[in-house]
Amino acid sequence: MTAADTAAPKREARTPRKARDRVRKVAFTRALNDALNLAMAKHDEMFVIGEDIAEMGGDFGVTKGLLAKYGPERVRDTPLSEAAIIGTCAGAAMVGMRPVAEIMFADFIAECYDQVVNNVAKMHYMFDGQFKAPLVIRTACGGGFGGGPHHSQSVEGWFLNVPGIVIVAPSNPVDAKGLLLASIDSDDPVLFLEHKALYRSRAEVPPEYYTTPLGQAAIAREGSDVTVVAAMRMVPMALEAAEEAADAGVSVEVVDLRTIRPYDAETVLASAAKTGRVVVANEAPKIGGLGAELSARISEECFSDLKGPVVRVDGLDTPIPFSVPLEDVVLPDAQDIGAAVSTAAQY
Amino acid sequence: MDNATLIGLYRDMWLIRAFEQGLEREFEKGNVPGMLHTGLGQEAVQAALAWHLKATDAFFPDHRCHGINALAQHRHRGDGERVMAELFGRSTGVCSGKGGSLHSADPRVGNFGDNAVEGSYMATVLGVALAAKLRSQPNVACAIIGDGTVGRGEFHESLNMAAIWDLPVLYACVNNGYAISMPVGDGHASADIVDMVQGYGFESRQLDGNDIIEAWTGVKEAVEHIRSGAGPYFLEFKTWRWQGIFAGEFRPEAEVKYWKEERDPIMLAGEALAGRGMDQAKLDAIEQETTDLIEEWIAFAKDSPEPDPAKATANVYVGWEVASR
Repeated sequence: MTAADTAAPKREARTPRKARDRVRKVAFTRALNDALNLAMAKHDEMFVIGEDIAEMGGDFGVTKGLLAKYGPERVRDTPLSEAAIIGTCAGAAMVGMRPVAEIMFADFIAECYDQVVNNVAKMHYMFDGQFKAPLVIRTACGGGFGGGPHHSQSVEGWFLNVPGIVIVAPSNPVDAKGLLLASIDSDDPVLFLEHKALYRSRAEVPPEYYTTPLGQAAIAREGSDVTVVAAMRMVPMALEAAEEAADAGVSVEVVDLRTIRPYDAETVLASAAKTGRVVVANEAPKIGGLGAELSARISEECFSDLKGPVVRVDGLDTPIPFSVPLEDVVLPDAQDIGAAVSTAAQY
Repeated sequence: MDNATLIGLYRDMWLIRAFEQGLEREFEKGNVPGMLHTGLGQEAVQAALAWHLKATDAFFPDHRCHGINALAQHRHRGDGERVMAELFGRSTGVCSGKGGSLHSADPRVGNFGDNAVEGSYMATVLGVALAAKLRSQPNVACAIIGDGTVGRGEFHESLNMAAIWDLPVLYACVNNGYAISMPVGDGHASADIVDMVQGYGFESRQLDGNDIIEAWTGVKEAVEHIRSGAGPYFLEFKTWRWQGIFAGEFRPEAEVKYWKEERDPIMLAGEALAGRGMDQAKLDAIEQETTDLIEEWIAFAKDSPEPDPAKATANVYVGWEVASR
């Protein structure tokens, strides 16, 4: 994938095409569904498991059609038992299967936190390589739709301090498909975060099998004055802010992390060193989160290249309120990123 | 049960006892790091399970699991000393010293490792069982748990899912009367765990965990049931642990005396063998041989090198290296 492919679909310049050349734009959810379909055909030992994922196709339709194609042994509905879902995946992975779990909302991961943190993430290490845990935990995260305190959280911070887990966080349909296929191929356990606000975003997604490498960030937009480091929904917001900044004569580079843990420090630090002005954008609360880690690392390793302090854009230090006007206050948006870019541009 | 089997089990139980007593001695001398939870007094349960589980089965050992770990390692690989070395944190241990007492594993002998968060592997066992079922393998996936685990949510999630999916799971609940210091009847709706399990609708049985013949026969029937494809099976072994808590002994003197002097599973098996005409000298020889073997294992562990510090960052990920300091 080139950098241009990973840009937010709405902002891409569209070239007029003849009807016969037109590639249908595919929604984020459909791109994920494609990936699951292709992966199940590739891996006989893969199964998908979760609540209402079989007949119903999942709360967001990501597993739609899999039951009819692959049958109930490989597409398994479960009771409301998140710990048992992840435990089942962990045990099956220990004997070489490749399970993909759906935890309906990321907030519910608290119900299986022990499984992920103490079992899945540590298995390879504590038994010194005798077991692998090649499982994927897909989950819908993030706010912005009036979901309230238990259906809106950004949970990456809960896992940032957990060695052994891989956190993948796509920002667009093309990456979503390639990263999910790479996650299923991976021998490490992957927490695959799907931001709900991105589910309806569309892009031209190649129909064939392809993987997008884990642990590699993408330059979603090249620029020279200010770097914005972001993931998931913050990426299209950063691109929107970058477009507006360009009108004001500020050239913004947007780094899309794509993998949050282990993240691509090389790309992040190179961009920070190049521009010398950095904004880190993160939907979760400010304290102890992704923004904190990036800000610290950039300050630590690029101090002499920086023209001023790293500017952080984060969620407020509150739970996510239900009422939309309140939620709007709590969650960062493109305007907040734009303001941070303006601040950084002054350095 | 024929004489040869009973003698074999007697030997296995002595191996466990000698292992735990030798380990306890070394722990008190400061040679074994961390914490120590021994399975003294519970040897019959472990020997019965180890006898019937094959290397191609999977067991998740409990908090007092050195015995079954050592027996499986000794029987299937002939290197039980590596379980001892793991407890000493040495490079020759089954997990190269990274796991210790509560995370000792070797999949080649069916040991899928303890998880020190009680109840966690009640969920994990489901996946191993599901894989066996999907692959049409006649394998048993066994979760060995204590009575304390019954308080965990995963306990109930696991029984429910094993029931609805008819999974080949053997639940072996070692009810030793106490969850740390809480008596089982105070902590659970019933002091008899099988009473709580019955609602899940699959086979369950309560056994005398200090009677090796009853325990061995019960495990045999449960394993045959599971291998035949008839679904999960829950066994509760009523027993008693010899070890108190870290603060020392907290149980009434009469209770301690009763279990150690009248209900010692090895003593009871020895009496059964004597009743069948077994020579006391032969029984003594078994005790001596197993004790000598364990002393060899302890010497092996003590003589083994500490792990290479460079290994501290190895095997965090399969696909990434982790930076050292």
